[in-house]
Amino acid sequence: MIDLQTFNIIPVMPEIIMALMGMVLLIFAVSQGNKSYRIVSWYVVLTCITVGAILLRFPQGVSITFGGMFVTEPFAVFMKLLVLAGASLVLLMSITYMQREKIARFEYPILILFSTLGMMVMLSANDLISLYMGLELQSLPLYVLAAFNRDNLKSSEAGLKYFVLGALSSGLLLYGCSMVYGFAGTTNFIGLAEVFALEATPVAGVVVGLVFILVGLLFKISAVPFHMWSPDVYEGAPSSVTAFFAVVPKIAAIGLLIRVSMSAFGGIAEQWQQVLMLVAMGSMIVGSMAAIVQTNIKRLMAYSSIGHMGYALIGLTAASSAGVQGLLVYMMIYMFTTAGVFAIILLMVRKNMQVETIDDLAGLAQYKPLMALCMAVLMFSMAGIPPLAGFFGKLFVFQAAMAEGMYTLAIVGVLTSVIAAYYYLRIIKVMYFDSATEQLDNVEDSGSNFVMRASAFFAVVFITIAWPIVEAIHYAVDSLLFL
Amino acid sequence: MEQAFLIDYFPIFVFIMIAIGISTMAIIASWIVGRQKPDDEKTSPYECGFEPFEDARGKFDVRFYLVAILFIIFDLEVAFLFPWAVSLGSIGLFGFWSMVVFLAVLTIGFIYEWKKGALEWE
Amino acid sequence: MAEYEQLLNIGMAHYLTVSAILFVLGVFGIFLNKRNMIVILMSIELILLSVVINMVTFSSYLQDLTGQVFAMFILTVAAAEAAIGLAILITFFRNKGSIAVEDIRAMKG
Repeated sequence: MIDLQTFNIIPVMPEIIMALMGMVLLIFAVSQGNKSYRIVSWYVVLTCITVGAILLRFPQGVSITFGGMFVTEPFAVFMKLLVLAGASLVLLMSITYMQREKIARFEYPILILFSTLGMMVMLSANDLISLYMGLELQSLPLYVLAAFNRDNLKSSEAGLKYFVLGALSSGLLLYGCSMVYGFAGTTNFIGLAEVFALEATPVAGVVVGLVFILVGLLFKISAVPFHMWSPDVYEGAPSSVTAFFAVVPKIAAIGLLIRVSMSAFGGIAEQWQQVLMLVAMGSMIVGSMAAIVQTNIKRLMAYSSIGHMGYALIGLTAASSAGVQGLLVYMMIYMFTTAGVFAIILLMVRKNMQVETIDDLAGLAQYKPLMALCMAVLMFSMAGIPPLAGFFGKLFVFQAAMAEGMYTLAIVGVLTSVIAAYYYLRIIKVMYFDSATEQLDNVEDSGSNFVMRASAFFAVVFITIAWPIVEAIHYAVDSLLFL
Repeated sequence: MEQAFLIDYFPIFVFIMIAIGISTMAIIASWIVGRQKPDDEKTSPYECGFEPFEDARGKFDVRFYLVAILFIIFDLEVAFLFPWAVSLGSIGLFGFWSMVVFLAVLTIGFIYEWKKGALEWE
Repeated sequence: MAEYEQLLNIGMAHYLTVSAILFVLGVFGIFLNKRNMIVILMSIELILLSVVINMVTFSSYLQDLTGQVFAMFILTVAAAEAAIGLAILITFFRNKGSIAVEDIRAMKG
């Protein structure tokens, strides 16, 4: 029984503040109507920043509350900071976009806030129940966001597809949870880790459950072979929502995947390593091959992010401290550069209409040199060309894979990044060497412009700030692995 | 062993037998007593003296869906209240206030749907 | 008589088999159904409820209440999920005028 006096509320304070702000804003906004859209958006950004500041001041070490269901340690804090940063970046660049598209309803920032709250719960989940609750709190707003442009056929179709496949993946995950609970006798991650520390070869039921849980989580990060929903959803959803999908939930799902596989199922690593190795290879190959033929830049980004998830999973497949560190570095760089690319996609407006094919960027360098330069930097970074940020992400995960003797994985990774470089460089070629047919409009959108510049700046200067970041990540990963 | 097991189920067995018996008797009796005059008109949809306007499997008004959706959510959240009420004696003040917080959150959802006009039919 | 007794003794394996059958039915219902989106929503519900059967079975078998608590959470979340699914389906119907699965094809590639 939990006592009111001894209950430790400090570790969940960020989530509680976030939830309270969400509810207060909801009541405020519904009494004001859609004219409160801008102010509510800014308040949500402010909430994210405040909660991030609170997290930065968090005590060191591991603290567990809610009867073992909720855990905070530097790892969770680091991942939550990434999620909050991603959510605020996406909101910053989408405030004006939503108004241009005439879908600026106040539910948009509030749904983003609640989804972010769900991700924070996911990242702190220390029990299969809190894992599921966090995952659903994250997913349910995302389904609505995908269908947010409700008068548009593509958007509602994207919402429907995302809903069906998301619900299916939750179902698979839940079935896995029930198997693990039944055959291991507990749902708590610490309890599970103790169970697997004792027995070297787990019973078949637990392995089946583990595979189902992995499949559910891999669906959420759209890794091959569970990627079929993502290109359609990315194309159909409003672009700012696509940016959110591409950036934020993936970080949360990867964080959860790390915690589940390394801390709860760390004792039976060889069981999930093979699965993840196949998935990583498949994602890298499909991500690089299928992207070549795309003409829509949002679909291209969908395949690009499938490929990036493949590289990121290399780090987890290594199942070592260095691998997880590489994975975190990779995710951080992925988040900032992808946010920048989507800021540019949001700025692609011609005659007051959003355009989204690659050919619409033709000759961009001649009339908008800064935008073209930012895009070129981000594309070089995504292709992994030194000395830009993306190179370091790939370097760390490949190093970790080599250290564990996984040469095949590293070789496939290098080969597919060469193939992937082709379509990143094609965009640069279109911008710099093709002639412009019609120019893009000059859009009054300081948010997107800011995110675009900041992200390109980050990609360039990452090399100078790499060591403090890697040190911080090292510290965060240590707190997880030696729980 | 299995004898005792079967005795446990004796009442339900008797019940099923009676149910089957009565329903069979009713069907047979109506078949014997009633006059059989099959006609196409008897199976066609009936609409007060004139030809039916449209297919009976027509579309519902979308507002019914809205009410159903809102009902589902508030209906099932109440499922938490029953275990809470039963165990209130042993979960103490913490359990009590947890439910109060939960109900407050539900109320906020309710205020939202009210203000949005989801509860008005017209 | 021995086989007869075995048939009457319903153990954990029977419950697990039922729930596995329901789960597989749900998954196939999503992928093989070509006509109606509502059937897909029902299949999703079937999957979640098969998990609930699993949870309650294990809970009773392990003499541990966690599974039943989990089942309660699954039930309520399933209701919220069904509500959101229906709402999205209605917006799709407004735009397309149909809820047939084969009509969901505005985007391909």
